[in-house]
Amino acid sequence: MIAPYLVLLIAFGIVPVIVAAITSLEPSVINPGGGPLNYLQALQDFRFLPALGNVGVFLLLYVPSMLIVVALMSLLLDTVQGRWNVPLRLAYIVPASLTGATAVLVWYFLLEPTLSPYKDVLHALGITQGGQIWRAPNLAWIFALMAFFTGAGNWIVVQYGSLQSISDDILEAARIDGANAWQIGWRIKLPLIQKYVVYMGILVFAAGLQVFVEPQLISSSVYPGLASNWSLNQLSYSFAFQSNNLGGAAALSLMLLIVCVIGAVFVIFKTDFFEGAGVKEK
Amino acid sequence: MKRLAVALVAVMALSLGLTACSMANGSSGGKPTLLLWVDTPRVPQATMYQKLMAGKETIKIEVIAQADAQTKIALHNRTKSGWPDVIFGAAADTAQFLDPSNGYAADLTNLVSKKVFDGFGQGNSDCKFDGKYYCLKNDLANTVLWYNTKIFKDLNLTVPKTMQEFADTAMKLKGTGYSAGAIGDQNYYASFVQSSECPLAAVPTKNTVRIAPDDPKCTRVAQLVQPLLDAGVVDKRSSFDAGFIADVAKKDKVAMTIGPSWFGDFVIKPTDSWGVPAGEIAAAPMPAWGTGSDNKSGAYGGGVFTVSAHSKYPQAAADAAVWLTTSDAMATATTTPTFPAYGPANKLWEKRISTDPYYASNPYPAMAAGANNISQVDRPVRFAFVAQIGAVLQADINGGKSLKTALDDYATSLQKLAPSSGYKVLTK
Repeated sequence: MIAPYLVLLIAFGIVPVIVAAITSLEPSVINPGGGPLNYLQALQDFRFLPALGNVGVFLLLYVPSMLIVVALMSLLLDTVQGRWNVPLRLAYIVPASLTGATAVLVWYFLLEPTLSPYKDVLHALGITQGGQIWRAPNLAWIFALMAFFTGAGNWIVVQYGSLQSISDDILEAARIDGANAWQIGWRIKLPLIQKYVVYMGILVFAAGLQVFVEPQLISSSVYPGLASNWSLNQLSYSFAFQSNNLGGAAALSLMLLIVCVIGAVFVIFKTDFFEGAGVKEK
Repeated sequence: MKRLAVALVAVMALSLGLTACSMANGSSGGKPTLLLWVDTPRVPQATMYQKLMAGKETIKIEVIAQADAQTKIALHNRTKSGWPDVIFGAAADTAQFLDPSNGYAADLTNLVSKKVFDGFGQGNSDCKFDGKYYCLKNDLANTVLWYNTKIFKDLNLTVPKTMQEFADTAMKLKGTGYSAGAIGDQNYYASFVQSSECPLAAVPTKNTVRIAPDDPKCTRVAQLVQPLLDAGVVDKRSSFDAGFIADVAKKDKVAMTIGPSWFGDFVIKPTDSWGVPAGEIAAAPMPAWGTGSDNKSGAYGGGVFTVSAHSKYPQAAADAAVWLTTSDAMATATTTPTFPAYGPANKLWEKRISTDPYYASNPYPAMAAGANNISQVDRPVRFAFVAQIGAVLQADINGGKSLKTALDDYATSLQKLAPSSGYKVLTK
């Protein structure tokens, strides 16, 4: 039963990690001897700390907003059980179809004060020039906005699905005990889907830590270089393809993987993630 | 949607760096198969070559984004197969490709005839590294002075011949609502900093780069331009900024701007861009910073063809690069967008632009005057010199920092970046 999963895990999970581990020790222009020095050099690169800061701010904006808004919206959606439910679910998914290059263009268009359909609003806020929007201090907010709108809709529908798994008997019992809609949502439903929210948190964190497409595209099109090496993954990309330093790129990627794994393990063991899911604790 | 189109056109114009032409010599035995990697604007000339060689060589064409050239070659270096025989890109790509850590670029010095190199004049100097040629320049993007003859006549201005005259003329625009151009992008580097020969990527010896923002040739730039910025006669935004286009350029308020040779056709003329009416725009030679040889142009764009050192048909590949950059057919094709680097080719190309009724006078002489006079102080380097312009120089200028601070910040970022590509850095 587990064989198909294992095959895929080995082919696309474990083997690439081993290849990266071997690559991470390769020599480069700045480390002709190769070896673990690649890891240190990646951390010491002058772009590393700014990129770490950028990604940190991005995660602080992105992950909590995803968790809170998705939980709230899916609970609300769960209360709308009439003919509006299906159109609403569809509506949540639509923004998720705007990914990558499309999302960057759409958001450029929305945020550019000269072009935006909301330019009157932007002008009322005192924003009359693109340069007031597209500047370094705002980038984390802009990228979080892009990532949020492309990701939230899907997760709302997924969490709505997890809410459907709650037994009607439990909800019925809560109602008989006098719980109102808010109490049922907050005290009954949310705790029951907690592990799915945790799961989402892990995936959203991992995706956010690897943010790449939005800054890379904005830097290679509309505002050349504006967000070059803005994120850690972009830095890894620069190591590999601008500095002929695949060792450094692999080292940085592996360090990102380690952060993700530690984060996931921490969250899993600090919550009852595996309880009642057919997995017994040791 | 039309305004979105403006933005898209601006982006495309930015990416339009280059073009090319001629002389197919013999090649190695058998029927060679060549793979060409070009960007979209270079597809027509590659297709022309494909047709020309039908039956003699099999030419395969793949379209790549110019920005992906280094990435894709690096990946093929990994797999040790599948390299294109000829690739179109920036001269900075070639600097990367010829490094022993990469090894993609072939030395063309003996594969291409001396006659071809002579025909380029200085037009191919970006491709010369340590006395050898590693690429052929497709097109030149040297800076010239674009000016509006109607506004000049109305305000009774004379065309500036020196940078000081440019500044004096610009100052006369104060309070008139007219502008002397926008500097908040790579154009500030090309038109002012590079033409002033400020050393930001000078390569005195192999693997040593001189980045010296305190050099007098750097400091004089901010001294000249900062007062113009403060007076509001030059704009801190980019020439491609939607706000600048709407507020200034589209209202036909740009009295003059220094910019590359492609500015006329791709920025000033298109109705989706500045849309300046026909019969107003002319080009004058690049204003000189000083006397004698202190009269260089900068360059904003301009691409190269690099040949693979791994090609099975090195001579055929080199011949293809020669044809793409020097042929009469390329030079006279209506699809050839920008000023060919090869001297005889750009003279043929002149016919196209000199008869364009859009211009108030023939802009070719101004372009040609600067073509062999582009500053050679800054050289193509392996680190991301141009990307840092956007990340630091442009960001600082757009954000309202002083030009001196912007240049210092930019230089500092380069000084930190260069060692990661194996350069020793000189800061004085």
